[in-house]
Amino acid sequence: MGFEISAEDKDLTYIILPAYNEATRIRPVIEEIARKGYKMIIVNDGSSDNTLDVIKASQKKYPKNIFIYSHIINRGVGMAMQTGFDAVLRYNPKYVVNMDSDGQHSVDDLENVLEPLVTGRAQAVIGVRPLKDMPLSRNFANAIMNLLTRIFYRVNVSDSQTGFRAITAEALKKIEINARGYLISSEFIREVHDNKIPFEEVPIKTIYTPETQAKGTNVTEAFKILIQMIKHQF
Amino acid sequence: MLLYSILFPIISLIAIAWFLFRHLKGKNSLTTVILWTVLWIFVIIFSIFPNTSFVFARLFGITRGLDFLIIVVFIVLFYTVFKLYFRVDELQEQLNTIVKELALQNEITSDDEDE
Repeated sequence: MGFEISAEDKDLTYIILPAYNEATRIRPVIEEIARKGYKMIIVNDGSSDNTLDVIKASQKKYPKNIFIYSHIINRGVGMAMQTGFDAVLRYNPKYVVNMDSDGQHSVDDLENVLEPLVTGRAQAVIGVRPLKDMPLSRNFANAIMNLLTRIFYRVNVSDSQTGFRAITAEALKKIEINARGYLISSEFIREVHDNKIPFEEVPIKTIYTPETQAKGTNVTEAFKILIQMIKHQF
Repeated sequence: MLLYSILFPIISLIAIAWFLFRHLKGKNSLTTVILWTVLWIFVIIFSIFPNTSFVFARLFGITRGLDFLIIVVFIVLFYTVFKLYFRVDELQEQLNTIVKELALQNEITSDDEDE
């Protein structure tokens, strides 16, 4: 039997989901989270499809669990997360989780990433994806990004590009995120490390479909992140 | 007289007039106007008296006048691109702040739909 979060802690947990053109994938994800009794902040990042309408429809079903903020134009996952982090602090949370809205992450892993925070072992957690499940191109880009994170940010982690992370509100107030795009993953790790926030890696399941593979850190994104990392050195 | 020695000075004079006009409208600083005017005056000089480029080339240890001009053009273009890059970056940052603030000030609730 795995870890079970108390009703009180669950009530103080908020999940941030950045969403860009996820109309066909987001509904099962958010409704499953809502059915589990968690509250979530969804940031629609200027989607050009009807993602916002899909989220609004789910909000009607679960008005107490879903809070929506929407960017009028697309600004990247990093910006959506910045909006999410700023928004979530208005609700006085205790724990903040961040996961992808495309169904790549399993909602069942929520308790796994929350467990180190709730038990007090850590104040920040990253969900580590199993390398064997990762497509080859993604695996290669991820290996490069882990190396770059180690070189530029001096932090050694097994999965620097994961979108599944959790942090206590107390720790969240200490970190400063400036990344606009996918650099956010490495920047989050750097901030946690630099602020000496107790940190843990937790293995998570990843569901890869052709659609989810099209997004995320591929070689092109890795190159963009490298440019930004160099820029951040000055 | 070759075509470029007529055409380039005309273009240069138009460019100087354009920078002065923008300065009078408050869109360019005096430093920008002076720097660009100096550059365009050099373009006029090199167009009418191409041999003067040799003098400058020798000053910098470059053998051919044309090589000197190409290097100068590269430096000017590089500087312009660099400056534009930082300007765009600054604008992106301002845009991000606006988009984020707008989103935070306008939380979407199910009540909005009912109204």
